[in-house]
Amino acid sequence: MSQPKEIFVKTDRCMGCRSCIIACAVAHSESKTLFGAVAQSPGPKNRVYVEWVAPDKKVPIVCRQCEDAPCMYACISGAISRNEKGIVVTDPDKCIGCWTCVMVCPYGVIGRNLETRKAYRCDRCPDRDIPACVSACPTGALVYDTVPAYSGAVRKQVSQALSKAEGE
Amino acid sequence: MTADDSQYMIVGGCAAGMAAAHAIREHDRQGTVTVISEEPCAPYFRPLIPFVISGKNQWEQMALEGCGPYTGSNIFVRTHSRVASVNPAARSVFLQDGTCLGYQKILFATGSRPHMPPDIKGVDASGVFALRTLAHAKAMAQRVEQTRHAVMLGGGLLNLKTAFALLERHLKVTLVVYSPEVLSQLMAPEDALLIRKALENAGLTIKTGVSATGILSDSTGVTGVTLDDGSHLACQMVCIGKGVRPNVDYLENSGIALENGIVTDRYTACNLPDTFAAGDVAITHEPISGAPISTALWTNAVEMGRCAGQNMAGIKTAYTGTFGILNATQVADEPFVSMGVVHTENSDCQVFRQATKTTYRKMVFDADGTRLIGAVFVGDITNAGLYRYVIRERLPVSGFKQQIIDHTLNYGYFMR
Repeated sequence: MSQPKEIFVKTDRCMGCRSCIIACAVAHSESKTLFGAVAQSPGPKNRVYVEWVAPDKKVPIVCRQCEDAPCMYACISGAISRNEKGIVVTDPDKCIGCWTCVMVCPYGVIGRNLETRKAYRCDRCPDRDIPACVSACPTGALVYDTVPAYSGAVRKQVSQALSKAEGE
Repeated sequence: MTADDSQYMIVGGCAAGMAAAHAIREHDRQGTVTVISEEPCAPYFRPLIPFVISGKNQWEQMALEGCGPYTGSNIFVRTHSRVASVNPAARSVFLQDGTCLGYQKILFATGSRPHMPPDIKGVDASGVFALRTLAHAKAMAQRVEQTRHAVMLGGGLLNLKTAFALLERHLKVTLVVYSPEVLSQLMAPEDALLIRKALENAGLTIKTGVSATGILSDSTGVTGVTLDDGSHLACQMVCIGKGVRPNVDYLENSGIALENGIVTDRYTACNLPDTFAAGDVAITHEPISGAPISTALWTNAVEMGRCAGQNMAGIKTAYTGTFGILNATQVADEPFVSMGVVHTENSDCQVFRQATKTTYRKMVFDADGTRLIGAVFVGDITNAGLYRYVIRERLPVSGFKQQIIDHTLNYGYFMR
């Protein structure tokens, strides 16, 4: 299957439990265990966020790997590139902590590591088959799939709901 | 077209020129792309040159090609070549060594050069620098060996970055600023208080409200600077950071329309067929007011260069224009972002300020309060990109104005 997989967000399913955030931080910790991650100092950084919009909507948000990635073109040191898997990555050795990427990311998903003065972001968990945040989500609000498969599933769901409504 | 002719000719091998070259390559794999650069070395990330002075980086680590988005192949860069004149009617350029090269489409991306204020006497002495190129940075790094005290004229970002590089080399550094406060182009004096404090804590000496009148020198080079308050600073190095001017000399009498830079339309094209301009040298427009504007920012140059490259390759692409102010950086331990309209003195804009011991922010709305037009963040720059998006897309802020004022805006608010 040559189609790359993406992380899709179903905001209507998110309960705001923040399991994704914890799983992300653990996956990016030295020990990769919850206890080790909690004890680590400075603590590991999560790269997925759950935003809250009044009156009470929860929105999980993670790097979209933008096709026209503004961060990559804005970077003044050549630290941001797209790897062979299509993932936009920040090379910490090249990052100079100028935060230009933070200034241009319209999603607000690039973090600043103040201890190392380097920018960090979602790396799609290169060592895992399924990103940690998706595996951890208990309600299926995060889906890891290809675009055709995901949109196909959405179409099927909608048409089933429609035909059911017409039958009633 | 002869063998020496190039389908795409790019004059200038920095941000705008190289971004254009790589953008062309994304759409046209065959056409010959020639970049003419007057610098002796391969293209590099110009914003990194202060690290050559501090010694943190070797210049080989700053090479542009192969890094970030600059991975296109088969782009011919002709270094050490300076264009003397252009004949758009004959579609040819003349290099200073007499070589004539033909082209089908040409991009002017010659950038800018430091402005040397005519009222300062003695700027020709050795040890006086206006940092622009890698060669300047290397010369400056050498001069550090015989320098104890360096005086920086101008309180802009370039001089601040250079000052930090010199502090890392354990020099005494004095910043002489004519304006009432540092970074006066990027923020109002009251916005810069935390940054001023951070600079002083880092060991920088700052004198505001004074300007240099002359530079003194002897056989060893610079020996001091005289200021307009009558005082004198003994020093062995002077760095001038007083803004830049566009490099357009080679276009005099070419027929290309110039107005303190090269005039471009919404599609990055100049007034004559198949001529384009991008980067510091180009006059573009400000997206909020539509006013003509030129900037000297890497990020803007890349954006406009890419747009020009797409247009040259036949993909008609409108340039969205740019803010004159669009800066993010960290000076000492203080990160800051400044974008859009930030100078609000004597204007009817709605301004909201919030200051804590360690952070400062200023949000600028238009007079009706319906659009965000500028923002300054100091200390805490979280989600700055969202605010840039709101400013740039001119989003009505009615659904989340309080969140903007409180600095709690998140992407969820755009999804409603």
